[in-house]
Amino acid sequence: MEMEKLKEIALYALDRLKEEGADEAQSSVSEGRTEEFNVDAGEFSLIRSVFSSSISLKAIKDRKKGSTAINSLQKNEIDEAARECVKAAISGTKDEGVCIAEKETNLDFKDGALSCSKEKFFDSIIKFTEDVKREYPQIMLEQLIANYSYGKHVFANSNGVLFSEEDGSYSISVSYSAHDGEKTTSFNYFDIETLDPEADIMELGMTRVMFERAIAELNAEPFYGKFVGTAVLSPMCLTELISVIAGSFCGDIALIEGTSPWKNSLGKKVASDNFTLSVIPNDDRIICGENITAEGYKSENYDIIKDGVLNSFCLTQYGANRTGLKRAASTSGCVEVKAGNESLNEIISKIEKGILVCRFSGGEPASNGDFSGVAKNSFLIENGKISHPLTETMISGNFADMVKKVEGISSETLQDGSCVLPYAAFGGVTVSGGTGA
Amino acid sequence: MNDSIKKLILNIPSHTEVRTQTITTRRVGVLGGKLINNISARSSGAGARVYKNGVWGFSSIGNTDEDSVREILRSAEENASLLDSRKPKNKGALINAGATEFSEKRKFQNTDQKQLIDFARAIDSYIEKKYPSLVSRSVGITANCIEKELITSEGTFSYQLFPRVYIIVSMSDEAKDGENIELFDILGGGEGYFTDYYSDPSALYPDIDKLYTELQAKKEGIFPDAGEKLCIIDSAISGMVAHEAVGHTVEADLVLSGSVAAVSLGKQVASPLVNITDFAFEAFGKKAPLPVYVDDEGTLCRDAVIIKDGILTGYMNNLESALHFGVQPCGNARAYAFSDEPLIRMRNTAIHPGKDKLEDMIASVDNGYYLTKTQNGQADMTGEFMFGITMGYEIKNGKLGRALRDTTISGVAFNMLKTVDMLSDNVTWDFAGYCGKKQPMPVGMGGPALRCRVNIGGR
Repeated sequence: MEMEKLKEIALYALDRLKEEGADEAQSSVSEGRTEEFNVDAGEFSLIRSVFSSSISLKAIKDRKKGSTAINSLQKNEIDEAARECVKAAISGTKDEGVCIAEKETNLDFKDGALSCSKEKFFDSIIKFTEDVKREYPQIMLEQLIANYSYGKHVFANSNGVLFSEEDGSYSISVSYSAHDGEKTTSFNYFDIETLDPEADIMELGMTRVMFERAIAELNAEPFYGKFVGTAVLSPMCLTELISVIAGSFCGDIALIEGTSPWKNSLGKKVASDNFTLSVIPNDDRIICGENITAEGYKSENYDIIKDGVLNSFCLTQYGANRTGLKRAASTSGCVEVKAGNESLNEIISKIEKGILVCRFSGGEPASNGDFSGVAKNSFLIENGKISHPLTETMISGNFADMVKKVEGISSETLQDGSCVLPYAAFGGVTVSGGTGA
Repeated sequence: MNDSIKKLILNIPSHTEVRTQTITTRRVGVLGGKLINNISARSSGAGARVYKNGVWGFSSIGNTDEDSVREILRSAEENASLLDSRKPKNKGALINAGATEFSEKRKFQNTDQKQLIDFARAIDSYIEKKYPSLVSRSVGITANCIEKELITSEGTFSYQLFPRVYIIVSMSDEAKDGENIELFDILGGGEGYFTDYYSDPSALYPDIDKLYTELQAKKEGIFPDAGEKLCIIDSAISGMVAHEAVGHTVEADLVLSGSVAAVSLGKQVASPLVNITDFAFEAFGKKAPLPVYVDDEGTLCRDAVIIKDGILTGYMNNLESALHFGVQPCGNARAYAFSDEPLIRMRNTAIHPGKDKLEDMIASVDNGYYLTKTQNGQADMTGEFMFGITMGYEIKNGKLGRALRDTTISGVAFNMLKTVDMLSDNVTWDFAGYCGKKQPMPVGMGGPALRCRVNIGGR
């Protein structure tokens, strides 16, 4: 469907919401296509094509909000959804925080690969699976999902906001493990986004490093005992910490409820000087980031923490209205932790006793940042060197305390199209294993 | 689907499925007295999957009219042919799942959004008035229904409904050390519609009072002593052992990827006291929490026995893996949305009850922990599992002691299950969870209380 037609549908939906009695109205219309290749247990298994469309509606009536979503763009179905949406709003409760975005400058965005080179992409996935079998015969691709996604989106509201976006990209999601006879490692996974259907997947992200580590993990040993030491988090593992910062420390619910340990820390030091965390939806290293926030504002890069100081919360406009604080400039999850000057090996060489954590499998961290879980795909560090891979080893600590004890940040970064993240070493983490009984 | 579509599919020589499906969701969330979620959503469409010599093609669209179904059948066939031409497996025909006719007698029943809002507000109001000092409180109601119609080339016609409703109440309070302590629970609900389970909010007040009492105990709670400990895993969370720690390792697609179960069939993997079954639609003489009668490949569902008297006896299969292992499938191929292909999924996976009384089990522990609530879990192909624990107590000299703060337990399933030496005589089911494996999927999981050794995280 042409973009102008999608705009017509979005505006039609606004009219219907207003006619049903909405004081303020918002609509978001999408149409897209996905071409997907699946590999299971190392073998191609399925090709999947998905043709999709959807419309989400929001109505505000007497400061009460209702939301409805359907996957049909037929007028009669939009009429019914608009009725349902306004009816839900009327049934709701008054909340002075509810709002729609104010009008800025309406823009049309085009990003990425707007047409699919299905055959070329298929060729590069076939090459990757063959490269893995040849170069890393112990690696089993448990599941590989490679897809091209294309979409057109229109966002409109009754304040006159009207944005459009057209984007497309290729993504590869791989979960894998290593096997040798009856020896099996824990699974690990990675995701990569690219605009090049012919990209050499083996050379993207940290693919080779991760496969080589998995093979080393075949000789993993349980850890016995307990110590408090340094945890070096891999770039992928660092995302766990970042999601706690963005949600439990800086997000809407945490600040509205008042449960964030950083609720009174804006402009204050919350982390070590060398820790800078930014949201970068418009960065050149990000593939199809975020042009429009979830609420309908133009999305911009911003710093959450700059040189250890809390620079911004991650609030939506609703969260900002409820707390009296400022809206964040983006709702994107594309993040960067500023790289350091040392290599990973240099950081490890300074650690007397610690752990390199490459995947974390844990319970939902508490709102204060307390966490505990299993250190998966991980390695013991002793006397400045990686000692051996680990199984059955748990780590625990507090994320808010950890970011105050940053002992090193690597110069190497993972750039997978959705983030730019280094390795980071944090002190004060408890590492525990079995009794050996 | 009309007769013309049925005739078209029945004439396709290779296994083919067409599924039309609607997912209806209503969600209401009250946070601190404000209605922050007031959402209704409906998604419907058709998906077609075609088998060709060992590979599959799939296509879906958000319409269910005849032209759309013909279009996705053509697209699915094209995808299967492309894959067969480039990466041929040259495998033969699938096991014939047979021709089954099954149709639910009940029909989809819409739920009134206002009814959900009023109910959530009544619960919120009770908590606010009775416990005004709480730092935060939230009430969430989810009512959804999956409606599926399936036709296969072997002649299966099925129409099934999967309605589910539940209420989650969450509270937090400040402990003496200034930390915010949280606790949540699922109150009532199950397979069916809102009015099947909820009419009077006051019926839930005793559960809310119990949750508050537990939260107050947790405020005074301690962190467990990290390491391997003797624990009683309550029946409320032992289903997670059945699902996460064991269930995933015996899904045949993961077995083929090299899970630990690949080399354990026929071996003693658990104490002889342990029996685990993935139930289809009935369990222990009652309707299973989330019954499935016909799977999304057209197989008539039956129970899949996984562990019998501690011995690993079987895997969960789809048509393709059943052919590989030379067994009959039990109906574990399930797809979440119309745009999803069927994958091997669990249904209602449970550890069978034993003969012990919970009180005797607790009394038998000199120094350990009693773990009663969980919020999430994960396992991998080695059988190493992890569950987040949100409520529990220390056990000292056979008596319950101080409550625990949030922690995590872990272990290796086939090692941990060998340490199980007591099982309680009751089973508790969890029906409100989603299992994640490429697609989400509502699943049931259950079991009795277990006495076993696990690693526990702490300080």
